[in-house]
Amino acid sequence: MKSVVIDPITRLEGHGKIHLFVNDDGSLANCYFQVPELRGFEQFCVGRPAEELPRITTRICGVCPDAHHMASAKAVDGVFGVVPTSAALKLRNLVYNAFYAGDHTTHFYALGGPDFVCGPDAPAAERNILGVIAKVGVEVGKLVIAQRARGQRVIEIIGGKKVHPVTAIPGGMSKRISKDEQAEIIKIGAEMVEFAKFTIKIVNDVVLANKGYVDLILSDMFTHRTYSMGMVDANNKVNFYDGKVRVVDPDGKEHCKYEPKDYLDYVVEHVEPYSYLKYPYLKKVGWKGFVDGVDSGVYKATPLSRLNASDGMATPLAQAEYERFYETLTGDKSGKKPVHQTLATHWARIVELMYACEATAALAKDEEITSDKLVNKPQHIVGEGIGIVEAPRGTLTHHYKTDQKGIITEANLIVGTTNNNAPITMSIQKAAAGLIKKGTKITDGMLNRIEMAFRAYDPCFGCATHSLPGEMPLEVIVHDAASGDVVQRARQHC
Amino acid sequence: MLTAPLVLCLGNEIISDDRFGPVVAQRLQEEQGGRLGADVIFAPLAGFHLLDLLAGRSAVLIVDTILTGSAPPGTLHEFPAGTLTPSKNLTTSHQISLPTALELGRRLGIELPAVIDIIAVEAQDVETISENMTEPVARAVDEAISFIRKWIANQSRKESDHADLD
Repeated sequence: MKSVVIDPITRLEGHGKIHLFVNDDGSLANCYFQVPELRGFEQFCVGRPAEELPRITTRICGVCPDAHHMASAKAVDGVFGVVPTSAALKLRNLVYNAFYAGDHTTHFYALGGPDFVCGPDAPAAERNILGVIAKVGVEVGKLVIAQRARGQRVIEIIGGKKVHPVTAIPGGMSKRISKDEQAEIIKIGAEMVEFAKFTIKIVNDVVLANKGYVDLILSDMFTHRTYSMGMVDANNKVNFYDGKVRVVDPDGKEHCKYEPKDYLDYVVEHVEPYSYLKYPYLKKVGWKGFVDGVDSGVYKATPLSRLNASDGMATPLAQAEYERFYETLTGDKSGKKPVHQTLATHWARIVELMYACEATAALAKDEEITSDKLVNKPQHIVGEGIGIVEAPRGTLTHHYKTDQKGIITEANLIVGTTNNNAPITMSIQKAAAGLIKKGTKITDGMLNRIEMAFRAYDPCFGCATHSLPGEMPLEVIVHDAASGDVVQRARQHC
Repeated sequence: MLTAPLVLCLGNEIISDDRFGPVVAQRLQEEQGGRLGADVIFAPLAGFHLLDLLAGRSAVLIVDTILTGSAPPGTLHEFPAGTLTPSKNLTTSHQISLPTALELGRRLGIELPAVIDIIAVEAQDVETISENMTEPVARAVDEAISFIRKWIANQSRKESDHADLD
């Protein structure tokens, strides 16, 4: 029996690995997904003043510092028993949506999109953003760069720094914005919406117009009927910053809807001996292994699951795209949900991109965002706080406990990708089982399709991505299932 | 075009050996004040973000950590950015790589430095959250500072020679 690992060569650590164990006849015996985990962050927090954590936690991840900043700020609000002012909440919402607009743009054009724009069988050397602009034009590349710059400018104005915001503090925000800055954000918001419209056109023209891609998206190989998790507002509309966490079952029926403070009543974590990263699951359903269905507590927390867990989007253009999304993928015009095809997550991300851009544009026009009433000063220390936001790649939870002086005594984090550890494993297993058959030769194209199952989740192990060359690649290793010997490594760039 | 050379120190202040870049930046800023002859920036960034920092510069030295597995921890690797080219095809992470960012910048007509050099320390631990580097990497800071001073002097000399020719 043989085993295959999908593996990077430029970095020896800090990367995900897929191990494929293959029988002598070429059939798949088993499949494991391993990711690294940074050690010791919770312990690092202990002994530090709680109010420092929103600034420190942005360093956890080079990919979504804004999400950690916001989840941490909400947890610290709880520690000090204070609710931010109305103006501060609007500013937090505004800057967070602007962050989403940039993040989802990066994923679609640079990371997930190349599989569709360039094609899953395109040579690895072309299957990147350079291949995307080669196919759709340099002008599109310029638009992408401009969109990223817009998001960063809003973060710089409101968050104080371009990438790692610093202005969310207990009870509010520390930086007031001027009328001129508001005018600039209004202009940026309008431009963002135009960019989102353009991106929807790209999805239509390049992806949906290609029957082969649509068939691939809808194929059983990339389908799992799991529970879906996402934060919703009072009207069950998708919300990234605030609300309740809602979970629907594989048929779309509400399983639970809970306040962030109650998360431990609903989510627990399973451990496997071969992975540092735990496997969260729904406590009231239970862990039944890496299987889907209503009796398995495995859930997804992704753009697709957020759409599934909601009743729609709170802005008009995103709502229209939401409806088209479900009509197209279910073939039903009555609003039938949910959708379970993992590769549809890419389109769901574009629905969210439109929402983030519209929300940025709408909040920018709110007169209250230039208010000087930015902080409700903490009056006492409660000693415990839980903050949940939707990070672009999943529900993000920060939970702190402090002593009477507000010094951290305990910290617990469930980061976005961790939620999806079990479904990612299942998706890789299913794709591998669908592709690696008795008597077949394993090709780069097959391995890329297995990677596509992984990539759709936009997984983040990005905490150490600063080390050269700046990527967190994935490795696929094929092992002989009998001996465990490595017989093939997928190094697409070699 | 900004004529002052840029020393761009990358890393993460709270991830063990990934502190190398920020520690070097701090040392340079404290020891040299405004007399270094180069701008020094610490940035906990990668990919697209680097493009933003490189645009409009004439010469840049990137200071970072690297894991090649081919040298003992603390070893300094010096090489031009162009030699990272083979890695540009990786597509599975969140960020594009430096070579991809540079190629993207070139194709989009962004003004990029004529010189991009890299000095990277072989790391031992980039997974532990810690405000302490491992000993071999910490010991490499002095050597890196010496290298950076020479690099800056070389860039200044080139600039001066270029001006004489003009």
